[in-house]
Amino acid sequence: MGNVAVVGVGQSHFGIRSDASLRELAFEAVKACLEDAHVPLADVQSMVVSVASDELSCALQPSAQVVDYIGFHPRPSFRVEGACASGSMAVRTGWMNIASGLADLVLVVGAEKMTEAPTARATEVLGRAGDFLWEYPFGMTFPGYYALIAQAHMAKYGTTEAQLAAVAVKNHHYGALNPYAHMRKEITLEKAMNSFVVAAPLKLYDCCLISDGAAAILLASEKLAKRISKKPIWIRGLGLGTGSLSLAHREDLTTLGATVEAARQAYEMAGVGPKDIDVAVVHDCFTIAEIVAYEDLGFCPKGEGGRLVEDRETYIGGTIPVNVDGGLKSKGHPIGTTGVSMAVEITKQLRGEADEGRQVPKAEVGLSHNVGGNGQHAVVHVFSQDKE
Amino acid sequence: MEFRNFSLLVRDTKVHGFADGLERGELLASKCTSCGKVQYPPQSDCPHCFGTEFEWVPVHGVGKLVSFTSVFVTPDHFTPDLSRTAPFSAYGYQPAPVGIVEMEDGLRVMGWVLGLKADSLRVGMRLAPRPEVLPDGRATVVLVKAEG
Repeated sequence: MGNVAVVGVGQSHFGIRSDASLRELAFEAVKACLEDAHVPLADVQSMVVSVASDELSCALQPSAQVVDYIGFHPRPSFRVEGACASGSMAVRTGWMNIASGLADLVLVVGAEKMTEAPTARATEVLGRAGDFLWEYPFGMTFPGYYALIAQAHMAKYGTTEAQLAAVAVKNHHYGALNPYAHMRKEITLEKAMNSFVVAAPLKLYDCCLISDGAAAILLASEKLAKRISKKPIWIRGLGLGTGSLSLAHREDLTTLGATVEAARQAYEMAGVGPKDIDVAVVHDCFTIAEIVAYEDLGFCPKGEGGRLVEDRETYIGGTIPVNVDGGLKSKGHPIGTTGVSMAVEITKQLRGEADEGRQVPKAEVGLSHNVGGNGQHAVVHVFSQDKE
Repeated sequence: MEFRNFSLLVRDTKVHGFADGLERGELLASKCTSCGKVQYPPQSDCPHCFGTEFEWVPVHGVGKLVSFTSVFVTPDHFTPDLSRTAPFSAYGYQPAPVGIVEMEDGLRVMGWVLGLKADSLRVGMRLAPRPEVLPDGRATVVLVKAEG
């Protein structure tokens, strides 16, 4: 298979972007990405767009808004969807586009406008990403699903609410240093612990944000990558796993089988293991999700994820820095955008271009982990400075 | 009583008999007539052998609580002014706990936990699933403290 590299990255500011439409947010990211790559849009042969929700965008084929507004037509464009993992699926689809030989230069765009819908409506749309037929009628929401995971993890491994809160404290610490983040402020453990209960045992600060925002990356074949970029970042491993729609069908609630499978594929393809990863972004839609991700990705033994963050091993300087961009928790989570934004972050880290205070020193190999729903899909990518 | 309104979506599926079961006070699972695999929630089609014929078997006995939560921030359908638009009962148990129990045969059942406060629940405790008629006449599945 041909090698594929990231040769340009860009993103909009995340937040409550009542100043911009979906297409305008996408434009911000695409413009930044093409300027970063020093490539005109005219050279791009194909596009992959990730907008997760027709319901939140109140339109079918919202990708057409993006394609039109940046002036891409009549060239090929393709939309992918896997709820919150849509963005990473778009990155994967872009990679496939190049590896298949269909194109040498592909633009991958993630965009989402979530805050036009009231919170209860957004909660409903997101909740319906789970098993709408058999679990939603019990008032289940996304915080509800992850609360069930948290409760099971606490019962089985003794994970504490303070350990959950420690994830939020870390991610807000780094989010405060990220100029693109939705909520740029530090929080204390006390504040997190005393916030109101959303779905017991998860509290307000255990939950990620509902955000607007867009991100874009430019992917190139090996032939073009070195011509375009002095520091191409290679996608060395790709993995995609799936899991049951219904949470009740999982034999073990403390792990996401989709993540375990995606990680296995990605590590094997890249020829690396968890110990080789210098920096990671993982899907912290809820604090418990980050702790489960540590374990499922092999950053620590099963059951020790809570201690890993409590011991500050996932801070810069620890054994494996995780979500030093603020994560979904503080950077924000425009659902279709998140996976693309993860690729933006890892590319910057491996280029050594992350913001002051949150650059991981000598980062050569990075990993992104993106979950759709409560584990129906999981996507893991391994990125590297080196091609092989 | 509108037992069939457990969910309009269940009524419009090949497993609409589940709603009839609730009406009779029975909680039902599907059993594939080809390979014998039992599934809850019921499925008319078998993902194990691709069989498409099934028979109903009752879910009975007591299970162990696998996990639970109480949802305080509810989705649109469960907010008071919109609950009438829900295709299933949005009668206010909120924030009653919701749990999953694992039965002895491995089936897992989700339901509202009735008659117990969240702080008295423990993973591993014994609860029994059963149908329940809500005050609005619709049926749902609840988990209640096992006797004895």
